[in-house]
Amino acid sequence: MRRLLKTSSGVLVCALACSPFVLAQSSKPSDAKKAPASKSSPNHGLSHNLSGVWMQYDDGTAPGFARMNGVDDRTRPPLTPWGQERFDSAKPLMGPRAVGGSEDSAALHCEPSGPPQLLILPNPWEIVQVPGRTFMFFEEYHIWRTIWTDGRPLPKDPDPSWLGYSVGHWEGDTFVVETVGFNDKVWADLSGNPRSEQMHLTERYRRLNHDTLEQQIIIDDPKSYTKTWVSPPKLHKFEPKWEIAEWFCASSENQTYDKDVRKPSGGGPVDPNK
Amino acid sequence: MKEIGHKVFSSKLARIVTLIGLSLAFSPLGLAQTTAQSDKRSDPAKTQDGAPLSHDLSGVWMQYRDGDVPGTPGMNGVNEHFRPPLTPWGQSQFESAKALQGAKAVAGKEDTSVLRCEPSGPPQVLILPNPWEIVQIPGRVLMFFEEQHIWRTIWADGRTLPKDPDPSYLGYSVGRWEGDTFVVETIGFNDKEWVDLYGNPRTSTTHLTERYRRLNKDTLEQQIIIDDPKVYTKPWVSPPKMHKLEPGWELAEWFCVLDENKDYDQVVRKPAGVAPNSK
Repeated sequence: MRRLLKTSSGVLVCALACSPFVLAQSSKPSDAKKAPASKSSPNHGLSHNLSGVWMQYDDGTAPGFARMNGVDDRTRPPLTPWGQERFDSAKPLMGPRAVGGSEDSAALHCEPSGPPQLLILPNPWEIVQVPGRTFMFFEEYHIWRTIWTDGRPLPKDPDPSWLGYSVGHWEGDTFVVETVGFNDKVWADLSGNPRSEQMHLTERYRRLNHDTLEQQIIIDDPKSYTKTWVSPPKLHKFEPKWEIAEWFCASSENQTYDKDVRKPSGGGPVDPNK
Repeated sequence: MKEIGHKVFSSKLARIVTLIGLSLAFSPLGLAQTTAQSDKRSDPAKTQDGAPLSHDLSGVWMQYRDGDVPGTPGMNGVNEHFRPPLTPWGQSQFESAKALQGAKAVAGKEDTSVLRCEPSGPPQVLILPNPWEIVQIPGRVLMFFEEQHIWRTIWADGRTLPKDPDPSYLGYSVGRWEGDTFVVETIGFNDKEWVDLYGNPRTSTTHLTERYRRLNKDTLEQQIIIDDPKVYTKPWVSPPKMHKLEPGWELAEWFCVLDENKDYDQVVRKPAGVAPNSK
């Protein structure tokens, strides 16, 4: 993340082009994760244990949307007029509407990301469970997130924020995370689909076996979408030897910021082969 | 905190006052949400001073004004009064810095990476009087800072410091217990920020040591030791600083956001055009 290109287009470049192996340090195993399991082992004893570094990979189900389909455009319900307006004005990073060099999003300004966009990027992330809380750590922008699991309800009138306010509970073997209190400054995805302050986000996590975590993202945002947006589940792979590396988005130099972010049309489209 | 953050950021003054302002002026009580207690810390056996809490550092901590360094309330974890002489190189770096604080600071002329919303890191992030939290899990100690929503990993699984770490904002940290003192050592810093708000340099050769000791249930002692022969002619040993346990607090979301280019241009890129104390 120290090179110029990466500063301005960290999301694009690294999400699409960089090898994830470059981003995640693989020096030593973090904790002794000695769970005796193979790929085919059942989740016995692990069903309520989501801890570890997870990674999503290209599964080929969404051509042109290399593996970033945790929020799946193909299952999106019709937009409301407000949602449509937002969507039309967005200069997306991906999809058929993306124009090389004209992309614009909060992430390109090094502004914080947040759920669900943060959840769909193919970068390493880690779950840590402690009493009363579940933490999620994302390599992307070095963001951490708290999910309260101490039985508290969602707040009635939360201040809008990037990450929202999250609570989680177990329904059988499924860890259900509900989040409210978002601001509307990030999109729900990289295609420009909006997120509003009315969004109620539900994430459903299920550890299918030692190596596989299923994640399903459900967006209920009546200001943006005419119906609840239920994306198909997405699988994440356990990476026991990985540790989350430091990846900050830093507008390190004003000149770089000006050239690559504020005047993106001067920079031309990103060539992933370079 | 979020509310404060937004209001501040949408005003012109904001960028400049964020750090100084939030750190010095606003009540810390406004920064940390006090909604509900996160974890129960109610074991009476653990509430006695000196007892088995000694290896338990977890909780939300806060440092307060102690007045022993006039003009720098609460922000003396890295204490300039104890700074050793600078090397010639360190001196030149120090003199070129446009400090946020201290005798060198000129209102409207301050400039630091933090004002551009670039990440902070140790030891600077440790000395700001904002809530921070320690969470201990097997093999690791996690530190969470409300300031810029930063988290940091201290490996406590016996591993050694890396031989040739890539320079980074947070560095690479390992920790171990020496009796009742948790000793954190960090290397692998970049030189993109200062160790404090005076402009004292941090470089890729900085070796940072932090010593933590829980004196009683409510008090955490933190001592910061900076060793960087490129900058300082001797190790810089600051006196210990006390942090108070705030069991009813939870860290709020505080991101540094360059929300609008206009703000960025007016307030950050042309700081000389703004006199922070004028209106």
